[in-house]
Amino acid sequence: MLKVENLTIAYGKTEVVHHVSFDVKKGSVVTIAGANGAGKSTILNTIVGLHRPKEGSILYKGEDIARKAPDKLVYKGIRLVPEGRQIFPEHTVEENILLGAYVEKDAKKIRDRMDEMYDRFPRLKERRKQIGGTLSGGEQQMLAIARALMTGPDLLILDEPSLGLAPIIVKDVFKLLTEIKQTGVTIMLVEQMVDNALSISDYAYVLETGNIVFSGTKDEVKNSDDIVKAYLGNV
Amino acid sequence: MQQLIFGLANGSIYALMALSIGMVSSTTGIVNFAYASVVMMGAMVSWWLMVIYQFSYIPALFVAIAVSIVLNIVIYETCVKKLGNLLDNVGWIITLFGASIILDNIARMLFGTEPQAFPYLFGGKMVTFFGANIMLHELMMITIAVVIGVAYQTIIKKTRFGRAVRAVAFRPATSELMGIKSEKIILSCFAMAGAVAAIGGVLIAPITFASYTMTYSIGLKGFAAAVLGGFGNTKGAFIGGFLLGLIEAFISIFVPAGIKDSISFVIMIIVIIFLPGGIMSAKIFNRNWSAAEKV
Repeated sequence: MLKVENLTIAYGKTEVVHHVSFDVKKGSVVTIAGANGAGKSTILNTIVGLHRPKEGSILYKGEDIARKAPDKLVYKGIRLVPEGRQIFPEHTVEENILLGAYVEKDAKKIRDRMDEMYDRFPRLKERRKQIGGTLSGGEQQMLAIARALMTGPDLLILDEPSLGLAPIIVKDVFKLLTEIKQTGVTIMLVEQMVDNALSISDYAYVLETGNIVFSGTKDEVKNSDDIVKAYLGNV
Repeated sequence: MQQLIFGLANGSIYALMALSIGMVSSTTGIVNFAYASVVMMGAMVSWWLMVIYQFSYIPALFVAIAVSIVLNIVIYETCVKKLGNLLDNVGWIITLFGASIILDNIARMLFGTEPQAFPYLFGGKMVTFFGANIMLHELMMITIAVVIGVAYQTIIKKTRFGRAVRAVAFRPATSELMGIKSEKIILSCFAMAGAVAAIGGVLIAPITFASYTMTYSIGLKGFAAAVLGGFGNTKGAFIGGFLLGLIEAFISIFVPAGIKDSISFVIMIIVIIFLPGGIMSAKIFNRNWSAAEKV
C-alpha cells in the first residue's frame, strides 16, 4: 500500500529524518513509535504533502507521491487526522464533517456518508448544530476521525490520537480504529504512548532522532527488552 | 431626514470599504494597505471610460470592477505571495504601502491631478421622501451596500466556498488536509475584495469627485470604519461603516466642514483605546461567546 524508501526530510538546512524506509501493507495497522522530536509528525506531514522531502521516495499503490499537493492525495484516498485533532472550532460539528468531504462533488454520496458517520457517532449527531470548540477532547477526536472518513479513504493516518485524552476515552478511540480496520481501511499510527497502539498493530517501527532503530511485529517489539526499556516505557 | 440619508449613503461606502479590508484580513491576517488605491483606481478608470469613451454608468462600473479584481490579484501575487510564510515576516506592510504609492502616481500620470466631476447614477434624479429631497443615487448606494453585505454573509455562512474561507482563516494547514487549496481561497478573497473596493469607489466618486487623492480622503475612512467595527470582522465592518457615516453627517451640522474629517479619526482613536477589538467586541454583543478551544 505505502512504501517509503530512503526518505530524508529537512527543515531548512537541518536534517530531521535520515534515510528512513518502511512499509505499510494493505489492510494492516502499522505503528511508528518514538519519543518527542524523533521526527514522527514530520514523516506524516511529508506523506500527506504538507512538507516536501529532501530525498527519497514515497510509493502509494505503486505511484511516487513524494511531491504531490495535499488535495491530490485526498483524492487518492490518503487522509491524515492531525496531532491535537485540529478541528475547526468556530464551525459547527456538521460543517466540520462537510469540510471533510470538501473534495467530494456528489451531493448524494456526501449525504450517505454523513448518515453513516452519524450512525457510528451518535454523540456527534446530537451535537451537530453545536460549534466544534465546545466539544470535549474525546468528542473532538471522534469528529476529527469522522471528518477524515468522509471521503472514504484507503489509508488513514493518525498522529497521536491518544494525545491529551483520558485513558478510558483512549480505549474508545482504539476500539473505533479496530472497527475501521475491519472495514478494509489500512491504518498508520504514530504514538508516544505505545501500549494501546501496539495492541491493535500488526507491525511496528521505533524511531529515534530521525532513524529507525527497530522494526518488527508487535510481539517482537514486546519481547525485545532493550527496546522496551529504552524507548517505550512499560508495555 | 436629508442628513440621515446622506449619512447612511456615505456610511454604506465606508461599510463597503471596511468589508473589502475585512475580506482579506479575516482570511489572511493581512491588512491590505494598498486597498484604498484600488478604490481610487476603480473610480478613476470608470470616470475615464465615461468621460472619454462615453460609456454609460453601469458598463463603466463593470469594467472598473474587472480592473480592480485584476489589480488586487496582481498586488497579492507580487506584494504578498512572494514573501513566503506570512507568520515569519511583516514585509507585506512595506510592499503594500509601496504598491499604494505606485498606483497613486500611475493614476496621477494617467488621469491628471484635477479632481474630476463624476456623473451620478440616474442622472442625479431627485425624489421626495418624507418631505426631504433625496437623490436616487444615494438610495442606490445604500441598497447596493446592503445587498452586497447580506450576499457576502450568506455566502460565508451557507455555502461550501464560505465554509472553506472560514476554515482557511482559522487553520490554513488543516484546510489543506481537507483538500482545500488555501492558496486559491485566499486569491479569491483578494479578488472579491477588489470588486467590492471598485463598487465603493465608483459609487462615492460623484459625491467626492474623482481624483488620485481619493486614496487618502476616502480610503482612510475605510480603515476608520474597519477599526470601529473590529478588524477582520465583516459584520462589524457594516456597523462601523454606517455608524461612521451617521456620526459624520450629524456632526457636520454643528462643526465646520474642515474639522469634519478629523472627527472620524478622533472617534477611531477613542474606540481603539477603549475597545481595541472594535465595537463588536463590546460585552453586550458577546453574551453567548464560548469559543474556548480545547486542544
